Amino acid sequence: MKTMKVTFHVNDEKVTLHVRPYETLLETLRERLDLIGAKEACGVGACGACTVVVNGIPLRSCLVLTPEVDGASITTIEGLGKDGKLHPLQEAFMEKGAVQCGFCTSGMILTAKALLDRNKRPTKKEIIKTISSNICRCTGYKKIVEAVEKAAEKSV
Amino acid sequence: MENEFTTVGKRVVRSDSLAKVTGEACYTADIKLPGMLAAKVLRSPYPHAKILRIDLKRALKVPGVKAAISGFDTYGIKWGVFRYTKDHPMLPTDKVRYIGEDVAAVAAVDEETALEALSHIRVDYEPLPAVFDPEEAMQEGAPQIHKEFTNNINIHVNIDVGKVDEAMNKAFLVREDTFKAAGEAYAMKEPYAVVASYKNGFLDLWMPNAGPHVRAKALSNLLKMPLNRVRIRHINSGGAFGGRSEVSPGDLIASFLSIKAGRPVKLVLSREENATSTRQVHDIIATVKTGMKKDGTIVAKDYRAVYDGGAYSSTGPIATSIPFYVYEECYRFRNVRYNGYRVFTNKGIRGMYGCHGRAFLAGNEAQMDFMAKELGMDPVEIRLKNGLTSGEVTATKSKITSCGLKETIQKASEKTGFKKKWARTQRFKGIGMGCVAMMCGFPMGFRSGSSCYVKMNEDGQVTLVTGVIDNGQGNESLAIQVASEVLGVPMEDINLVNADTEATNLDPGSYSQASTFVGANAVKVACENARRKIVAIAAQKLGVKEADIGLKDRMAYSRKTPDNKMRISWAAREAFFRGEPIVGTGSFFPKIDFEREWVSRPWGQMAGTFSFGTSVAEVAIDSETGKVSIPHFTAAHDCGRPINPMAVEGQMEGSIQQAGVATIMEGNLWEGGFLLNPDLLEYKVPLACDMPDIETIIVSSRDPEGPFGAKEGGLTIRMNAHSAVACAVSNATGTVFRELPLTPDRVLNALQRKKGVKR
Repeated sequence: MKTMKVTFHVNDEKVTLHVRPYETLLETLRERLDLIGAKEACGVGACGACTVVVNGIPLRSCLVLTPEVDGASITTIEGLGKDGKLHPLQEAFMEKGAVQCGFCTSGMILTAKALLDRNKRPTKKEIIKTISSNICRCTGYKKIVEAVEKAAEKSV
Repeated sequence: MENEFTTVGKRVVRSDSLAKVTGEACYTADIKLPGMLAAKVLRSPYPHAKILRIDLKRALKVPGVKAAISGFDTYGIKWGVFRYTKDHPMLPTDKVRYIGEDVAAVAAVDEETALEALSHIRVDYEPLPAVFDPEEAMQEGAPQIHKEFTNNINIHVNIDVGKVDEAMNKAFLVREDTFKAAGEAYAMKEPYAVVASYKNGFLDLWMPNAGPHVRAKALSNLLKMPLNRVRIRHINSGGAFGGRSEVSPGDLIASFLSIKAGRPVKLVLSREENATSTRQVHDIIATVKTGMKKDGTIVAKDYRAVYDGGAYSSTGPIATSIPFYVYEECYRFRNVRYNGYRVFTNKGIRGMYGCHGRAFLAGNEAQMDFMAKELGMDPVEIRLKNGLTSGEVTATKSKITSCGLKETIQKASEKTGFKKKWARTQRFKGIGMGCVAMMCGFPMGFRSGSSCYVKMNEDGQVTLVTGVIDNGQGNESLAIQVASEVLGVPMEDINLVNADTEATNLDPGSYSQASTFVGANAVKVACENARRKIVAIAAQKLGVKEADIGLKDRMAYSRKTPDNKMRISWAAREAFFRGEPIVGTGSFFPKIDFEREWVSRPWGQMAGTFSFGTSVAEVAIDSETGKVSIPHFTAAHDCGRPINPMAVEGQMEGSIQQAGVATIMEGNLWEGGFLLNPDLLEYKVPLACDMPDIETIIVSSRDPEGPFGAKEGGLTIRMNAHSAVACAVSNATGTVFRELPLTPDRVLNALQRKKGVKR
């Protein structure tokens, strides 16, 4: 089968792969790169469990074809912590009890990270609006919103 | 007294959360094993059809296919939770009974090859007339789905206490209403997945499950293998909500494929398959007739509830009963009759749900409000009047021990200014209240109890072995927290080995609300037994009495002279010297009436204790569109002593989402036997922007038998949040709701019914 050569950065590491043209970024991350933090929960872009940050923008990796990210810089949940330290969002999610089953957590944290990267002090309303792209079935979102607020306070 | 514990009662960070925020937590679909194959399932396109022939030959010839199976490759054993409900073949050979039923499966080197092979399986069907409406299915002459069950009546639960007709005749006020509700989608975030690996006569299995031991037992029966060769392994679960309680056809399929291929097999269902072919939630029609005295006392209740049971029995007797019980455990019914019918239809297999029974429960509560109004009372007064109190016995003879129902009603109503808001209802605004009780465990024979084993290593670190399972609620952290408190070591010193049937002992699982009351109690007993050994050594070494020894922060110390202390790890080493290491086993078995049976003997002690709770919803209706919004939601919960208040709040908040907000937006839609909204685009799950401002109130009580006084936490709100919303909408429209979910069209209709009446 014909494959395409794709080069991109994942968590600051350069990757070159030969992929089928219809391979999704989610498949590539999970199957080829063993980055299992991105989850497949719906496969149609409805839930956000597969969210990763591509060039600063949170994208649903189940809807992105890998050849599309040629040259891009991607952050997954595995690359969020730096130098053995957790990202403030990761810490806040733990401390605020914003994690239950955990299946949405990676996508939720990465969606929030993209928000905080472009807006250091979002209002509660902005946080709610932003994370409304992601489904959580366990928490009722209250503690997730609180965690994002706390992380925003910390990182200022 | 609040400071008497080191970790219990504290808002501790859950032990499982680090792996989950770093993406390291492993779920079933994440597993990779050497030589692993991908499985795919061929499903029935018919709601009801005879299977004439299944031919796998051409599929097996597809390059890369390593195994293919149909029901003809199994032992043909039918699964059922009860002796009288063994009707589910998992892979049928006689006929299919719903669209999406598992018919055949293949395992291949990759998913694409497996999908390709499915298209080469030939199945000859002879379509049969089908039935989709439970009321129709009960009629003479309807298509028969199982020949053993006449008129498709799967289960009939009949409870008759006191003199219902006599009391109803004498009642001052009588009202009868019928309520309908569509089943919701579990929509757990993780689609179902199974990994099976058969090697040397041993089968290892990973799947999201709510009770590894009951799952292993089912598979041991279906595969004719002894229990020690069917090993359900620990794995994270992406939500269960009642939908992962029972053995799944996929478990059997992956197992047989692995046995046939001699290689590990992974089966991952799509979101749509998760909705059509794992468990579904029952649609319900409930008729509620209530008689009251002039003072608001409920004198009689007469119920008829019909549950759309789908194609197989599943946990039928339990599903047919639970809505009634959580209600009779909350209110005083001297005369009550319940006729619950679970009826087969040609729809998917159904199971229990965390919010199971919303038509019945919300119906009862909304009707009560309108009766109260007629009697010049308000919802608070009528609930306080009829609510059970500590020491009382329910209609079916369960004794209520600790009971904070009254406090939850009072606190929730004070916090929301309920009485005032109710008395002066504003146009298109409403307030409503829902109450319920929740059994902490229910009779499951010898599986009702839990056992735990704990050992301390020479460095003072602890290994805890328990069957307690976590589907996201925080049960693992709960077990560790309890052990930490008893043993005086921090939570991070405790390693948990849990929910792995090779290592752990029987446990009821996490679907009967028993994890805290039963599972954590066993952990506590085991740790206390180990603690005694530490204390004995420390007392000797420190030269004080055993009663004077305290354990905290890895130290054993004299309570009278705290400077007189030693490391707990020293005691552990000393214990090894003496040939009596610090180990402990412990069990907890709840005081339940084990003669109790769901159908044949529906009375006797249901559970060791009960939780209580009250939800209050405040709603606003857009009078033009009928759209409901829920600006505020308040929930008060008696969960005994909360072990981790933050985790309990999380359960309550999630319940407000899954039961409360669902009341205005969630429901499965059917066209005959075809599920119209199996994915998350068509089925709308509440998002952050749909959520009300939430206020949670923990009414901390002390259960005499719960671990540190704790009881079930959270499900109580899951079982009454729908009532609060339905009551609030009924209050706003001025008419008792008829059908859930309360979508804009239904709300507009309700406003229409009420038109002409000045509000």
